[in-house]
Amino acid sequence: MGLFTELKDSISRVTDRLFSEQEPKRIGIYGPPNAGKTTLANRIARDWTGDAIGTESHIPHETRRARRKENVEIERNGKTVTIDIVDTPGVTTKVDYEEFTDEMDEDDAIRRSREATEGVAEAMHWLREDVDGVIYVLDSAEDPITQVNTMLIGIIESRDLPVLIFANKIDLDDSSVKRIEDAFPQHKTVPLSAKEGENMDEVYENIAEYFG
Amino acid sequence: MPHECTNCGRTFPDGSKEMLSGCPDCGGNKFQFTPASPSSGVGSESPSPDRPTAGDDATSTDPSFATDDTAASDRASRSGSPRGRSDAANRLEKSDVSTREWPETARRPEDRSSATDDAESGSPSSSRNAPTSTSSGSRPPASDSSWISGTGNSSSDDDSVDRSTLAETEESAQADARSEMISNDELPPVSGSSSKVDDTPHARSDAESEFDTDSSTDTSSGGESEPTVDTGTDPAPERDDHDPEHGRVVSEPSGEKPSIDELREELNEQFESIKIVSPGQYELNLMELYNREEYIISLQEDGRYVIDVPDSWRDGDG
Repeated sequence: MGLFTELKDSISRVTDRLFSEQEPKRIGIYGPPNAGKTTLANRIARDWTGDAIGTESHIPHETRRARRKENVEIERNGKTVTIDIVDTPGVTTKVDYEEFTDEMDEDDAIRRSREATEGVAEAMHWLREDVDGVIYVLDSAEDPITQVNTMLIGIIESRDLPVLIFANKIDLDDSSVKRIEDAFPQHKTVPLSAKEGENMDEVYENIAEYFG
Repeated sequence: MPHECTNCGRTFPDGSKEMLSGCPDCGGNKFQFTPASPSSGVGSESPSPDRPTAGDDATSTDPSFATDDTAASDRASRSGSPRGRSDAANRLEKSDVSTREWPETARRPEDRSSATDDAESGSPSSSRNAPTSTSSGSRPPASDSSWISGTGNSSSDDDSVDRSTLAETEESAQADARSEMISNDELPPVSGSSSKVDDTPHARSDAESEFDTDSSTDTSSGGESEPTVDTGTDPAPERDDHDPEHGRVVSEPSGEKPSIDELREELNEQFESIKIVSPGQYELNLMELYNREEYIISLQEDGRYVIDVPDSWRDGDG
């Protein structure tokens, strides 16, 4: 199976090369749980392909497997960039099923917890091998200085991957984009609300510029 | 035998990286972790085809085997409290509990390894033969075959014993018998063990005559005069594991049967990616997850774990 998938991948990459100057860059959407990664991924995918990528939920760890949307063509200023979007599970250092027990019974919560843990492992794997750039999504209503954020951005920097920080949920009252800019001054921070579609023009401009 | 493929039963030594890319034999990626024990070498060379039936039989129908396990696992704890009976009773109960709460596949290697401990650490000790010889010496040499013919029916060759009442008391009697030998084994200077024989002569001789054939196949073959008969007429396949010829480990069991916590701890020492705090609660080492090509995810709560090979992820995303 793995061989077949690889074969398929390589064929599709060859095909891509025939029709475009370079193969699409694979952009991973990373961030802590419930930052709005899937909402953003769906927003981008719907805007440019008409399809969604994954299910959104207010319950953390809704995305527990990485999902990929290939060949998303984004046009900006007469220029077209084609990217593959990888929506990854939220990365965290702790997963606790009790976080979900208000929303579901205990068995489901434990299962969700287990899958979320596997999802983190998978996300870290993608980061190691399979992404050419990173969109790091943060909930701008939350404190950005956490162990996870610091560590992940450090890893991304150590790999010299291009990274954009998206300060999501600017529609919330507690949102503070400045707090994120101050936390990671070395990177470009783009404010947006993926849910409300606010400031998406600037989002696409930056995607085209950074990953084009 | 710290690692075992739950699919084909292939075992891997402690710290082996062989299975990190899946089981070389069957390609399975589900493994089960059992603690490193002094008997790991013996366990790994045991024939795996025997395992499913042997383990099932032993744990569900053969009481002597189950007591073997608990006796072995609790032996070290006994050294702190060498007195017999309540310990033995507790152990039996504990045995039942642990038997139930451990899933079949998770428990079997445990049974095997601790049973092997029992045989190994028991047989080299000459003191352990003493109590056995009292009973088996008084019995006709065909005692083993009478045991083979059936525990319930073979009352004829035993002079003063009613087997039906024995069946009711066999658990505690058997436990006593075990505890006595264990005491000798573990605590050579303690003389109280022999006096315990006098406390319950009936139950003891019953237990030994009927059930100790199980262990006396090992102990007597080590120290008494009928080694070939024992191994030759050995009816149960799992008895092979008890055979001292498979190897002896001099060091004693490190402690009680390892708890799930200990298993997890040991597992995480080897593969520090993910730690199970309790069922449904995990701590993740992000750097370890990032640095490692493959991930050992011990999420089954019962000692089983899954190794996810990157290819298996890609399949789902292709």
